[in-house]
Amino acid sequence: MKRVQREILAGTILVILSVVIVLIMGFREQNRLEEYVEFQGAAKIEFGAAVYETNCTSCHGPTADGIPGLAPSLRDHSFFAERIDEVGWAGSLEDYIVSVVTTGRQVSTRPEQYVGGGSPAMPTWSDAFGGPLRKDQISAVAAFIMNFEAYALGDVPTPVPLAPLEDLSDPVALGRATFTSAGCIACHTVSGLSTGIVGPVLDGVGTRAGGMSDLSAEEYLRESILNPDVFMVEDFSEGIMPQTFGDTLSEEQLDSLIAFLLTLE
Amino acid sequence: MINALRRRLNIPPREEWRDRIYEIVDNRVRIITAGLNLKELRAIMRGDPPTEKPNPRYKVITTSFVAHLRPRYYQQASTWFTHTFRLGWFTTFFFIVETITGVILMFYYIPFPDQAYESILEIESNVFFGELLRDLHRLGAEGMVIFSWLHLFRTYFTGSYKGPRSFTWLTGVLLLIITLGLSFTGYLLPWDQLAYWAVTVGSSITEDAPFIGPQLNILLRGAPDIGAGGLLRFYLGHVILLPLLAIIFISIHYYKVSREHSISLPAVVDEDVLPKEDRKENTRRIDLIPDLLTHELFLTSLGVFAMIVILYFRWFHSPLETHTNPQQTPLDTLAPWYFYFLQGMLKIDPATILETMFGWVGVQVELSRLLNSKFIMGLVVPPGMVILLMAIPYIDRNPSRLARNRPFAIAWGIAWIFILVALSFMGTPQYGIETPAATRIIQDLGPEEGQGPIREIPYQELIAGVGIYEVGHDYGEELCPDLVYQPNAEEDVDNIVIGCPHLTAVFEEYSERLLEAEENGLLPEMHATFSVEEFQHNVIRVEPHVNWIDAESGLPKDYSRHYYLHEDRSQDE
Repeated sequence: MKRVQREILAGTILVILSVVIVLIMGFREQNRLEEYVEFQGAAKIEFGAAVYETNCTSCHGPTADGIPGLAPSLRDHSFFAERIDEVGWAGSLEDYIVSVVTTGRQVSTRPEQYVGGGSPAMPTWSDAFGGPLRKDQISAVAAFIMNFEAYALGDVPTPVPLAPLEDLSDPVALGRATFTSAGCIACHTVSGLSTGIVGPVLDGVGTRAGGMSDLSAEEYLRESILNPDVFMVEDFSEGIMPQTFGDTLSEEQLDSLIAFLLTLE
Repeated sequence: MINALRRRLNIPPREEWRDRIYEIVDNRVRIITAGLNLKELRAIMRGDPPTEKPNPRYKVITTSFVAHLRPRYYQQASTWFTHTFRLGWFTTFFFIVETITGVILMFYYIPFPDQAYESILEIESNVFFGELLRDLHRLGAEGMVIFSWLHLFRTYFTGSYKGPRSFTWLTGVLLLIITLGLSFTGYLLPWDQLAYWAVTVGSSITEDAPFIGPQLNILLRGAPDIGAGGLLRFYLGHVILLPLLAIIFISIHYYKVSREHSISLPAVVDEDVLPKEDRKENTRRIDLIPDLLTHELFLTSLGVFAMIVILYFRWFHSPLETHTNPQQTPLDTLAPWYFYFLQGMLKIDPATILETMFGWVGVQVELSRLLNSKFIMGLVVPPGMVILLMAIPYIDRNPSRLARNRPFAIAWGIAWIFILVALSFMGTPQYGIETPAATRIIQDLGPEEGQGPIREIPYQELIAGVGIYEVGHDYGEELCPDLVYQPNAEEDVDNIVIGCPHLTAVFEEYSERLLEAEENGLLPEMHATFSVEEFQHNVIRVEPHVNWIDAESGLPKDYSRHYYLHEDRSQDE
């Protein structure tokens, strides 16, 4: 067989093989496209979770349960079942989330329940209006929140929180955990724990507390938590720190908080 | 009456129809092929000599525009596989593949920051064969860069830049630059973290040019940082400016090969090292039609087949990281691999080297203010290398192309290859960049962009492995001894996995490396955890968390990262 004929034969075989492989890929293509859409949906939720973690936890809590007095839960039954009717939103809940995140809230819609972070109550997030988030990030965060639906509407039981490693019989450890769960992290800065700017920085408050008033350090701290407006720190205004901690915290939690704060030197 | 009609219309009688039709078809074929009729085509396919005189196969080249760039023949020895390896040919092949796939992709890609990334997602999720198109384009790009370099090395080592080929060599070096430019401009277009930061780092060297630096930077990017302007400029450079230049220079480059000096004969033939009797055979003409053309068609089918096989088995896949985030530079930002050597060069600091050298002779100088190393290594040395390359035919005065007669040139070439490879190693992020131990360990397990071991843990293992694991505690061989699952229930029912090997392996590597770092004094008093928790009904949150005491300041430090892993996530990237 002459070289030319060999090459024509080999070339034809390769072309046929290529066509066969492309045909096989063609048959799988519809499936692949659908799978890819699923992957993208999953990746979007993962991305949204990361965006949420960076931007939203200080007001809405690390698990989107909200912080009492500050910002509502984004995963409870009422959010999914009632909220859009409550505000009269005509579209879908996901669109509602996108719209609120995009434009923010100048004033809280439920000021007695959720004060929000001052003025504006909720920041404007969209970069179209000067905020830090792109459209795709906002869309991802909305997808992430919507993914709580299974928990919210009771289809799937919510998981038991992981047993923390720290021994919570120690009051200081319990105090640190309460500092987080009660939402103090949203407004106060404690190095290594939180970065809130609404209220005074609490680094060193253990040392300072004794000299702020006539009361002892422990009494001063107790009063500051139960009746926030009694002792005001310079440059901070009255009426912002929630007044309800006396009702929402147990005696044990209060004591542990104070024990924890006294260790901040 | 029908006969009268037939005679009127000049239709021949039925017996003559077959010949008449053959005549018409034959005539059309001759016109279309610029001179080859059916009999001639048959002879070509069979490898027979021409059926007419004068040889109609030569006429094709002069009368057909499509074929005017082709040579009438090459000489036998020029076509030895071990002489050219078909490298130049495959470079052009890839260019054509790129052009075709590129034009198709242009129908779907949108070159604006708000839409670029989404358009890539559209291509992959909503365009039939979209992934194949994109992968072909990316694979062709890598192929073109690789083969351009290989072709340059081959031409250098066979001395085929000498004599009349000097100008061809010059256009060839230009084409290499254009190819690298095409690849670099295309690299930005997906507008993901990989693209954005690789190109930002790469184009930032222009800023440090003296006097014109900022202007040069703005010229390239359309603004001080890469944004909408930069993307558009890179896009237009990629789809029209550089391809036009490429086509012009490819034409000049190949025209000289076809018309002026042909492919070089191997030096052993040209300089009469081989026996004289063989010369006739070695210089025998290999005609374009049929031999060269059939060979090239065969190579085309081979190239296409190879690409399709590679993509079918997913030995190559075009990456897509998360959307560009100008506020966040991922750890381990990488240049495209063919620019590793540039990144490696940028890690060399000529100021420090010179200072050290002066120090050896006892002279203390401070040069870092005078010598801007980024400028020198980024903007002076690379163009210098290009100019050196272009000048090779004029520097090399040795008329011989035989390897044995040009030991210096061969040694110089091999040395340069080693230098480029070494510089490329230096360009990788693991070289010369200090990352704190905890960051490095966690980054290796779960990189900011891309897969990594943590993201490859199957969801079934994550669900079963929920809990907080402490480094140093002995959990036994297997973290979830009771788990039995099928990783691929739909396709492979028999594949059963016991326990959670991936999760266990990740935790083991995490523990071992942290304990090792503690022993080596990098993480004094290390205390670390690895938590796996159910965050949403189909999302698991993984958090490695490391605490230690900083050796210098004595203060406690910690480092952690969070990974959200969805059940439906893609297992490969």
